[in-house]
Amino acid sequence: MVNSVEVKNVSKRYKLYKKQSERILDLLVPYKDYGEDFFALQNVSFTVAEGSIVGLVGINGSGKSTLANIIAGVIPATTGHITSNGNVALIAVNAGLDGKLSGRENIELKLLMLGFSQKEISEMEDEIIEFAELEKFIDQPVKTYSSGMKSRLGFSISVRVNPNILIVDEALSVGDKAFSEKSLDKMMEFKEKGKTMFFVSHSISQMKKFCDQILWLEFGVVKEYGPTKEVINKYETFLEEYKALSKTDKKKYRMSALNRQSKKNEKPAEIL
Amino acid sequence: MKSAITVIKEQVKFSYLIRRLSIYELRSLTRGNYLGAAWEIINPAIQILIYWFVFGFGIRQRADVGDIPYFQWMFAGILVWFLINNSVMKSTKSIYSKIRMLAKMNFPMSVIPNYTIFAQLYPHLVLLTIGTIVLQFIGYPISIYYLQLPIYIIGLLMFLFSLSLITSTLATIIRDVQMLMQSIMRMLLYLSPILWPPTSLPDSWQPLMKLNPFYYIIEGYRYSLLGEGWYFLENPTYTLYFIGVLAITFLVGSYLHVKFRSQFIDFL
Repeated sequence: MVNSVEVKNVSKRYKLYKKQSERILDLLVPYKDYGEDFFALQNVSFTVAEGSIVGLVGINGSGKSTLANIIAGVIPATTGHITSNGNVALIAVNAGLDGKLSGRENIELKLLMLGFSQKEISEMEDEIIEFAELEKFIDQPVKTYSSGMKSRLGFSISVRVNPNILIVDEALSVGDKAFSEKSLDKMMEFKEKGKTMFFVSHSISQMKKFCDQILWLEFGVVKEYGPTKEVINKYETFLEEYKALSKTDKKKYRMSALNRQSKKNEKPAEIL
Repeated sequence: MKSAITVIKEQVKFSYLIRRLSIYELRSLTRGNYLGAAWEIINPAIQILIYWFVFGFGIRQRADVGDIPYFQWMFAGILVWFLINNSVMKSTKSIYSKIRMLAKMNFPMSVIPNYTIFAQLYPHLVLLTIGTIVLQFIGYPISIYYLQLPIYIIGLLMFLFSLSLITSTLATIIRDVQMLMQSIMRMLLYLSPILWPPTSLPDSWQPLMKLNPFYYIIEGYRYSLLGEGWYFLENPTYTLYFIGVLAITFLVGSYLHVKFRSQFIDFL
């Protein structure tokens, strides 16, 4: 089977500054480091076969969204490589829309930026509007939309663009039940077409229903990657244990992870 | 040098995108007010009147500038200032305010400041047309010297774009640059030949005032609109100076832009 996405040793470093002045000094003074390093991702490597659906799980702050954004090419990785076979579309709740423009204008603008021609845009427009169920609101400015309407619009655009690889970042949790079912159907259709998909969600039941593979991230490193059945059970057990931990134990657990995340070139082997 | 070529190539390749995006930008800017796009005319008109009242009527006691009445003199110079001021302010914040919308790293980012400037060109052309009509009735009919106007418009757009590459990059990294540019632009309004003629300063000050490249453009506009002569031909050294400043600004701007653009999103 062909590999659709290959992620190799990807790390993402953010700098944490205590003061604004540190940020400026860090830019201006060469050969000297200011601020504290924080690795949102550390040496993440995995490959995804074409047509499989990967669920990204992990507790808050484990780097799921960062990874989704890096695969989508929205933010650059600090080190490491990503090769993806085909165009990638990311669907997120705050899928960059211009609040002052109407829904219709936003559709046109988004498609324009993605490189579609005038003719293609007018062809796709109606379908998008219909799928988003925005009928009479479509000519209203997007700032007046509810969050469900916004994410419906974002989802409909991304889906219509017909990407080879689709990343869904908790976008479905905002819409109502009817729409999220409709979206799931659409995604099932994509699955049948053999498209690769990533799915970021906290909903374990959705994951079980939908994903072939689960990538479990914990504080920036891959803890487990494999078929859904195996990994999701371990993750569920972990969640229960974690929930059962006392407040101080939870904090201790987090602190040790945070410590690791601010060190450089840590090998992921340690946690396994 | 290499980054300069990259930036030029992107502008050529995506010129269609720039034109289309600038229209959406303009719509986004004018939406939300009842009078919408009319403000692009009302606002300058109010400013022109107040400047005429304060400087022409009040401070200068209706004295002419050379042999040109003050209102006509100020009017011919200030028309282009609205384009300069709006473009600089909007393009400086263009990258950090729009990067989330683009959402893809491989989007040609140098296009962003360009289309925000382009969006300012349409109201300017309307304003310029109205300005020309007004000038017909106050003693300055259209003349052969209007032919040089495109030179200054194109020169100005090129300079504004080059400058925006620098300011938009710096403003994305350090947000304070936006405030700094606001102060600088307010200062430049008084240091350019718009509201009062700097020729009244001692001779030794003249070259200093002319270091400001907008001086060249504003005087060029004035020569065209008032039919005073061929400004770029009559001041060859100054023309060369402007081209030199333009080239340096562009080289520095594209270097900075290309160097930092992959990290822009991290600075948000």
